[in-house]
Formats: sequence, C-alpha cells, structure tokens
Amino acid sequence: MTPRYVRAYGLAVSAALIVAAAAFVRYRNQSFEHRELERARVAVSAVATGSTPLGHTVAWGVVAPPEATPRYPFLPRRRLASGRVLGGPSAAPGDKLLYDAAARTEKSGPFIEFADDLVIATARCASGTAVAVSRPPAGPEPVPYLVLIGLVGLGAAIAAAGARRGGNAASAGLVVGAGGLAIPAAVWSGPIAAGLVMSAVVSVAWAEQRGWLDRAGAALVRNRVAYSYMAPAGAAMLLLVAVPFAMGLVLGFYDHHAGTWRFVGLRNFIDILSGGGHSFADPLNFWFTLGVTVAWTGLNVALHVAIGVALALVLRQPWLRLRGVYRTLLIVPWAIPNYITALIWAGMFQREYGAVNLLLGHLGLDKVSWFSSWATAFAANVTTNTWLGFPFMMVVALGALESIPRDMYEAAEVDGARAWQRLRYITLPHLAPALLPAIALGSIWTFNMFNVIYLVSDGRPGGSTDILVTEAYRWAFERGERYGMAAAYATLIFVVLLLWTGFGARLRRGRSE
Amino acid sequence: VNRTRPQRWLVAATYALVTVVTAATLYPVALVLKKAFEPGRDFALSPSPIPRAFTADNVLQLISARSGSGDLLFVRQALNSALVALITTAIAVTLACSAAYALSRYRFPGRQSGLASFLIVQMFPAVLLLMPLYVVLDRLRLLNSLAGLILVYSTTAVPFCVWSLKAYFDSLPRALEDAARIDGASHRDIFFRIVLPLARPGIAVTALFSFMTAWNEFILASTFMTDELSYTLPVLLKSYIGEYNAHWGLFAAGAVLTSIPVMALFYFLQRYLVGGLTAGSVKA
Repeated sequence: MTPRYVRAYGLAVSAALIVAAAAFVRYRNQSFEHRELERARVAVSAVATGSTPLGHTVAWGVVAPPEATPRYPFLPRRRLASGRVLGGPSAAPGDKLLYDAAARTEKSGPFIEFADDLVIATARCASGTAVAVSRPPAGPEPVPYLVLIGLVGLGAAIAAAGARRGGNAASAGLVVGAGGLAIPAAVWSGPIAAGLVMSAVVSVAWAEQRGWLDRAGAALVRNRVAYSYMAPAGAAMLLLVAVPFAMGLVLGFYDHHAGTWRFVGLRNFIDILSGGGHSFADPLNFWFTLGVTVAWTGLNVALHVAIGVALALVLRQPWLRLRGVYRTLLIVPWAIPNYITALIWAGMFQREYGAVNLLLGHLGLDKVSWFSSWATAFAANVTTNTWLGFPFMMVVALGALESIPRDMYEAAEVDGARAWQRLRYITLPHLAPALLPAIALGSIWTFNMFNVIYLVSDGRPGGSTDILVTEAYRWAFERGERYGMAAAYATLIFVVLLLWTGFGARLRRGRSE
Repeated sequence: VNRTRPQRWLVAATYALVTVVTAATLYPVALVLKKAFEPGRDFALSPSPIPRAFTADNVLQLISARSGSGDLLFVRQALNSALVALITTAIAVTLACSAAYALSRYRFPGRQSGLASFLIVQMFPAVLLLMPLYVVLDRLRLLNSLAGLILVYSTTAVPFCVWSLKAYFDSLPRALEDAARIDGASHRDIFFRIVLPLARPGIAVTALFSFMTAWNEFILASTFMTDELSYTLPVLLKSYIGEYNAHWGLFAAGAVLTSIPVMALFYFLQRYLVGGLTAGSVKA
C-alpha cells in the first residue's frame, strides 16, 4: 500500500464522515424533539386525569379559568385545582409559565412545544386547562463513536486490500471502504444522506484515478510557503464571507415568516422576477426598481464625469491663481463621511425649514414638497450624490491631465489647431484610459449607494425612489423579516453586478487591444 | 494650454465660474457649521450661512448628555466607534499583510481566483451579506455587541487591505529580498525583518483608510446596534434627527465633531487614495 492510497482514503473518509456526522446530528435532534414532545403529551394527559405525571416534569397543575380579584378587577387571577392561587408573594417558580400557558390555551387552543430548554404542554379538561412543564435531561444521545471507528477501520482494511492489487481494484476498494459510511447515514437520515456520502466518495476515487490528487498534493507541497502566508486571511474570508454568502444563496429558497423557515423552492425568485403581481409602474415590481437603479447609476456617473472633467480642465490652466486652494476646497464633499452628507442634504430638502426651499423663497418661487413626487425626490437624491461624487472624478481627471506632455499642445498650436481641436484630439483621448477604471469604480459605488437613498428620500414617495440595495434591505428589516425574499433579492443583485462588472471588464479589454 | 494669458473676459468668466462652483460646494458645509453654533432645533431659519447668534450650547449639550444609567453618551459612543474601528483595522491589517505578500511575490495555483475573489467581495454591497450575518449573529447572541460589529466590518476590511497592501508590495523592489535569500535568510526572516519594515508607509496608509471606513459606517451599525450604550457615532447622529423630534443643532454639533478627525486624515492621505483605488480596478 502506497502513501497515495492513505491520502485518498483519508480524504474520502473525511468527506464521508462530515456528511455522516451531519446526518447523525439531524437524526438525533429530530428523535430528541420527537421523544420529548411525546413525553410531554403523556405528562399533560396524566395531569388532566388528576394523577401525578412521571419523568422530568418540573411544574404542573390544572389551571382554572381567570377570576376577578376584589382589589384589582383589571388583574384577573387564576387558581390551581388544589385551590392555590398562582403568583403572589409566595409563588412557586413555575407559576408564571402555568398562568401564561393557560391563558394562551384559552385563547388559541392547546399546544405542545419547546420554550428554550423546557417543554410546555397543555390540554383542555373539565375543570380548566391542564399544563405540564418538563425539563428534558441535558445531553441527548452521545455520538456512536464505536460504530464510526469500526466502520472507518474496516473501510481502511478494504481500501488497503484494493490498493495492494492495484488498478481498478484500488478504486473499487476505495469506494467500498469509505462508502461503508453510507449505511449509518441512510439509517439516520434516509437515502439523500447516503447518496451524498456515496457521491463524495466516488468523486474522490475519480479524482484519484485521474491523478488530480497527486497534482494537487504536489502543488500544495511546492507552494507551501505561499499557502502558509495565504492561510490566515483565506480562513477568515472563508468563515466571514464564503459561509454567509453561501447561506444567503440557500436562504433565498426559503420563506421566513413569524420566526419559522419553510422551504419554498424557486418561489421567491419567481415572485420577484415576475413582479409579484404588481404592474411595471408599481415600486414593488422588481423591474421598476431595476429601472430606477439603472437611471440612478447612469445619471449620477454622467454628472460626476461631466462636472469633474469640466472643473479639472478649468483648474489646470496655468494662469489661474490659487489653483491649490480651489482644489482643496472642491474636494471637501469627498472628505465628509457620506452618511453625514446624506443627512445634511435630507435637512436641506425639508419642506418648512430646508435651506433649498428658503433659497427658492428668496427668489420668489413657491416651496416644493421635495419628497411627494417621484421626479423631485429622485432629483433630490441625484443632487446629493452628485455633490458627493464629483470630486473623485475631478481628482482622477486632474491626475490624468498632468501626465499629458505639454509639448504636444505646443506642436498642435504651431500646426494651427484650434482650442476645441486640441481638446478633441489631444486632451480627451488622453483622459479616457484614466477615466474608464474610475467610471467602472464609480458606477459600482453609485449602484451600491445605500446611504443617500436611505437617508435622503428614504424611498419616498411610496418606495418609488428605492434602488435594489435599499429594497433588499427593506425586505429583511422593514417588511416583517422576510429574510427569504431579501436573500433572493440579494442573489439577484449579485447576478446583476456580476454581469455589469463582466461587461465592464470586457469593454476595457476591448479598448486596450 | 498656451503660455500667453487669454483674453480678459475669458479670465474673468473663469474666475467667476470657479468661485461660484466652489461657493455652491461649500454652502451645505457652511450651513452645518453655522447650525452647530447657533441656537434652535430647526435646520435653517434663514438661508444665510452666517449665524445670527453664537452659542456653544449644542456642543456642550451633546457632550454632556447622559444615559439612564449615568454614562456620558457621546464619550461612550465615540469610544465604541474608535474601539470598533481600531480592532477591525488591527485584524484586517494583520491578516492582510502576509496574504498580500504571498499574492505579490509568489505564483501559485489559486492566485488569480484569490485575487479576483478579494476584489469581488470588496465591490459587492455590504447589504448583501448583512442578512445572513444578522441571522448568524442572532444565533451566536452577538447582536448588539461590538464584537459582532467588528466581525462584520472585517468582511470588507480584509479584502480592501489585501488589495491595497498588494499594490504597495508590488511597488517595492525585490533586490533586497533576493540578496537576503542568497545570504541564506529564511522565508520568515525575509518577511519579518526585510519586507515588513520596508512596507511600513504602505501599511500605515492602508490602516488609516481601513480605520476611516469603519469609523464612517452607518447602516450595518444601525441595524446591529439597538442599545444606546453600544451605539457608534453614526447611529447616534441619525438618532438626533428622527422623524418627529429632530434636533438639528445637536446633529450639526455632532457632525462637526465626528467629521473633523476623518477630514484631517483624508487630506493627509488623499494623494495615496486615488492611486490605490484605481490600481485595484485596472489590474483586475
């Protein structure tokens, strides 16, 4: 047996063990819940018939309907069948649980469920509501280490036997040996878990046979220094980004409602992409929001570039005094934290005491309710974002203009080129390569500009100025925790951005070739 | 651009234009400065940027506000902000230094996809990861804790630092490392004794940017933090201008106090910023 097979078997068994362990945990939690709920049901029916419940019941009793108290008629009290009043100065610790469970049962029927580490069960009976609160013993079934160790050892022997014969027998030994773990997985969690185990094992055997494992192992050894430098950041990104990202993708297939998750397949995506029954002019329609987002991004970037380049062309004139001062003052908007900028402009666009309306008043114009129509609200957002974004383009353009050799202009002038010809044939062609990456970056910033939309117009009127990112946020945190919809939305945003950056990269490559 | 001065009217028009644009740009800033030192809760009673009365009440009230349990709120929240930003930066820079070095100096399978994924993560909106992280932090009982916020900020800070430091390492000459290698220095010695000391300016700039980003972050903080004592400054400032009881005087005072340190940093650093930002997107 060569080290190759030790490695292949180790890999296959690790993958199989992970799946089997997950299958076991699932099985254990389910059977634990099932068993404890069943015990609670037995306990409560014992309480209802007046006998003492067995097991881990910590508080129980038949709770009578509420009765008014003489002193505080608005505070009804309840008694146990034994006559003891629930609550009060000498209350037993479980009294509040009994009281609340009885009240809930009278309102919406009997229930059996987990509440933190307790199980509460109720049932109706002749003299009121039977309630049993039990505390299941801590630590459900232990992991069956012996079974797993036995299977892994047996599998190792089979794989070793296969490896000794070599060729196809080696692969077969690997699959049979490591695939043994499919049996407990099937017992615990059914055929899907077994299938996962088998497919993991088979793909390892396949990779081994094709020599991929050899190559990967050799690469790992050859580049061990580089990989050891990468490891800390790589592990952190895996944990902090890849896991939540994968979770986000999966959550998109679930519906979250009132604290419970339910698998709904593609329904969230279908709801979003079909507009969910809303017309195209309805802000809740995905395509409407996408349209607003595209208009928002396009208009802002165009304004940033136009204003930034124009100012850069002016600021570059050598005869302009105080150029440095103007430059310093003009990048103030970039230096201010953008949430503060957004809040300032939200204040400036207020109806009564907003500076914009006060200025309009001085010019003899009427006050405008900026956030009561789409066009003015959108204009307010764009104004804010333009103010905040043009300095970046201006700085980039100034940098690019400085790198244009002056003698090109002198030569052009000698040849009799007019000012606009110099602009058209010298300045702009030199600006473009520097501006393209800045435009790509700026368009992504604007696409994702949550703060301006959320803090200035806040989607008003009626969500119509929301862009995709604010819409996704609202699904999660402002519309009854529809995490599933929010996750599906986020996935779609991811796709849109991926298409956009792919398109942008292709555009840039095309230019440079 | 010709050496001779153009016609007078053109010069005059240019000065007028630049002055008007600059004035328009500074106008909102002037209004906030005015509001910070003017009495009253409303945003503006007149559009003039010159205060009619001067008072330090807003600043004093902001700084001396106390929570129900007697803590000084502004100080506490400034400390929260600083703590979160500092620890995030420390984590991100530490993790990023070695990764950026590997990406800059070594060629290994997975390098391209590693670079691409660090870039993509940096470009995608935080809101995308917000919701799964919220669910995870809720389970881990880390909502409302500074530790949770630090974890969340690290998701964007690490890739940013990796790219920024990689660009810096790329610009360092390799001759010293090669010489050390010939003299028999180990990989670890080269990294810790030669590369890191050489990269100090780049590390400092990267750290300061990462600090600024965390200091300025609003939406994640306002979603994860619901307890007054664990607010960071952006959440506090937003809370002063709620829909029904806005106090613009306090907001303006807070905005001025919060912005001044980062604006100073920004002016100190901006010449590094443009190069770093565009370098990342050009090379991708």
